[in-house]
Amino acid sequence: MTAAAVPLLEVRGLVKRFGALRALDGVDLDVAAGTLTGLIGPNGAGKTTAFACIAGAERPTAGSIRFRAAEIAGMPASRVTRAGIGRTYQIVQTFADMTVLEATTTGALLHHPRLNEAVARAEEVLEFVGLADKRQRLGRALTIADKKRLEVARALATEPDLLLLDEVMAGLTPAECGAAVELLRRTLARGITILMVEHVMEVLMPIADHIVVIAAGKTLFRGSAAEAVRDAAVVEAYLGAPPAGDGAEAGR
Amino acid sequence: MIALGAIVAAGLVTALSVRDAVALDLVFTLLLYAVLGQSWNWISGYAGNISFGHAIFFGCGAYASALMVTHGLSPWLAIPAGAVAAAALAIVTGFPTLALRGHYFSIATIAVAAIVDALVRTQPWLGRATGFELPIASGWAALQFADKGPYIVLALVLFTAVQIATIALERSRLGYYLRALRANHAAAAAVGIDERSWKLLAFAWSAVIASCAGVLYAQYTLFVDPPSTIALGVSIDIALIGVVGGIGTLWGPAVGALVYVVLAKGVALELGGTGKGYDLVIYGAIICVIAALRPHGIVGAIVDGLRRRRGALELGAASATGGAA
Amino acid sequence: MEALTTFAQLLVGGVLTGLVFALVAVGLTLVYGVMDVVNFAHGEFLMLAMYATLGLALLGLGPLLGLPLAVIAMFLFGIIVYRVFVRRLLAGPPEATVFGTFGLLVLMQGLAQAVFSSDFLSVPSPPFAGTIRFAGLAVSQASVVEGCGALILTALLFAFVEYTETGRAMRAVAEDRIAATLMGIDVQRINGLAFGIGAACVGAAGGLLMLSYPVYPTAGVPFALTAFVVVALGGFGSISGALVAALLVGMLEVFGGFYLSPELKLVPVYLAYLVVVLVRPQGLLGRR
Repeated sequence: MTAAAVPLLEVRGLVKRFGALRALDGVDLDVAAGTLTGLIGPNGAGKTTAFACIAGAERPTAGSIRFRAAEIAGMPASRVTRAGIGRTYQIVQTFADMTVLEATTTGALLHHPRLNEAVARAEEVLEFVGLADKRQRLGRALTIADKKRLEVARALATEPDLLLLDEVMAGLTPAECGAAVELLRRTLARGITILMVEHVMEVLMPIADHIVVIAAGKTLFRGSAAEAVRDAAVVEAYLGAPPAGDGAEAGR
Repeated sequence: MIALGAIVAAGLVTALSVRDAVALDLVFTLLLYAVLGQSWNWISGYAGNISFGHAIFFGCGAYASALMVTHGLSPWLAIPAGAVAAAALAIVTGFPTLALRGHYFSIATIAVAAIVDALVRTQPWLGRATGFELPIASGWAALQFADKGPYIVLALVLFTAVQIATIALERSRLGYYLRALRANHAAAAAVGIDERSWKLLAFAWSAVIASCAGVLYAQYTLFVDPPSTIALGVSIDIALIGVVGGIGTLWGPAVGALVYVVLAKGVALELGGTGKGYDLVIYGAIICVIAALRPHGIVGAIVDGLRRRRGALELGAASATGGAA
Repeated sequence: MEALTTFAQLLVGGVLTGLVFALVAVGLTLVYGVMDVVNFAHGEFLMLAMYATLGLALLGLGPLLGLPLAVIAMFLFGIIVYRVFVRRLLAGPPEATVFGTFGLLVLMQGLAQAVFSSDFLSVPSPPFAGTIRFAGLAVSQASVVEGCGALILTALLFAFVEYTETGRAMRAVAEDRIAATLMGIDVQRINGLAFGIGAACVGAAGGLLMLSYPVYPTAGVPFALTAFVVVALGGFGSISGALVAALLVGMLEVFGGFYLSPELKLVPVYLAYLVVVLVRPQGLLGRR
């Protein structure tokens, strides 16, 4: 039981500079195994940059990122994935000329090098996310909601322990959001830990075990969703922000 | 597989029955270019790193053959020797350059090939600019034949092997990973694909295939020099064959070679020799038309057509909005 | 003392060679900057301009008198090629522009071979045939005229792109095509104009080069190869970068040819390219 005391992901003092701009200026966050943690903050707070650093797409300027107690800061993205962290992108990144099944199979090949095993694994994942009937469609011919679902499928096919989701709900209709939340619950039930950036607060609050708020590149708050709503600083920095800002970040 | 069987049968019939030297020469050239185009297709088509320096790997095989034979060794040894040299050259040059994108990679391949070309022309042991004439011999041990028939058979064996290897590539982890890297390198990294190591693997295999073609070419023409093997012009021929047929497709290179050899060389021969530039005019015009009207190549256009018929694109209202985004 | 004179001689030769490379390369880099297209037929445009200059010279218009006509003719040729051909390539996948312009290269070389044969042709008794001597250096008049002409024309192009309304529109298109469209810029017109100006640059280069070089169907290839390296070294799309890189490449080529061997003169040029793209992928003066 001592392992439970160490969080699955532990970020300390994360700093990322782009030239003179300090996009991240000391971010701390913990993600406990088996939980769903929401990462929120105003536009430009550095949420996507923090994700990029954790996933290995950007090299942090300073700070430590420990996954299962091993340092992963500065590792290339492909090694981070092999260590057990899957991700989706805020702006959907598809393999344009691959079918849904082929794209998911590409993910499954990470742990199943033989193609027939990988295809079988991909079929299971597509069944799980509800894309099985569209397996022969081309990735580029899907709706936005299905493209996001395909990204989740591709990430799940790599069999991650931790899934990073960057605004998977942005641009979805309320009905599609509902389906996505249901998918997240089932993913958690499989024992996969989730860290997600989300803008649709009404969606995040009921499902998040923990909330991390960052503003101006710094961690402002860590705690439960209920505490976050009560915290004056959070309300001022983020929840009090005009709702017009919500949709804007998706287009950034 | 059926198509492959039909080609092998047609090729064998040609090798055994046709006696016209010019026609046999065209068939041999066709098969050789189909192999070279497929070799290029591995790295430039499936993986998307467009190379304009592929002839240096063809040259590895051709020069290996020339060196073995002129030193009194068996030309069969040139097959492994050329393959090792080509793979090594691919790894050494690919390691720094394969991470470059788009034009940067393409121009880097021109630069590497130009350096190799210039160095070969200064090395006495590589025959400088004049190259090698291979001593005439005959029989399977010497890998030389008075008749063109056995060459056609050998070219057919190589072509079949390369097509089967490409089918295997398409159904392998490497094939999936190359297509993923070509489509979106960021998303590929996110599913755990290390760009450099997988592309190096593909580049090395691609170089080995080209080297095998080089050995066969040297044994066929019995003459190896820089302009006919490693020069920029040869690299460009190889790349254009790959694209005319359709890059990243199994049959694209064979179709491209057919267009190149039959339409360009064949028609130019009918019009009175290749020295007058007619072959270039015809071939250039074909490439221009394909690039402007069917940019995915001939096979690419057919595949798109079939997919549309099967409804994979299903351009209904829902997917049309997804496609626009 | 003699070594110093040799060095100075090579330095002057390198600068003059580099200036001509610059004029060929700026046309290429302008087209790349505006529409993200590497025109692989750029050398064949140069070859066409050289034949055109030769034709005008045979009609009695000497290379320098024919130069403005060659520039205008190549400008129109460039616009037509864009309208009829390149525009369609832009609608396809990124490879389409690479292979389309390569097809154009093959077609133009073939046509030149069919029409003019593979012979080397030169302007009969060209002007500026003498040699300038000072301080122990000897430089051919033709290469001085070529270098100075190339420098003036490159400067004019730079001024055009930096200071005119149309030049600003080109930079806007290069920066962000969609934003430029929203600002009311006709992107097709700017693209066509850029392609025309790119061709006009080699029109001028062809006019100048006929002072001292022969023309043949593949005459443009060595210049184009160098231009690709120059453009990448200077940073795709950067005119000032192309000028700096062209001077560097001119030096490398002249010094390499002298101190290594003439066969190896391009090796330092290509090595420089490889080192720069690996260490600084955006080129010497390019932006990321």
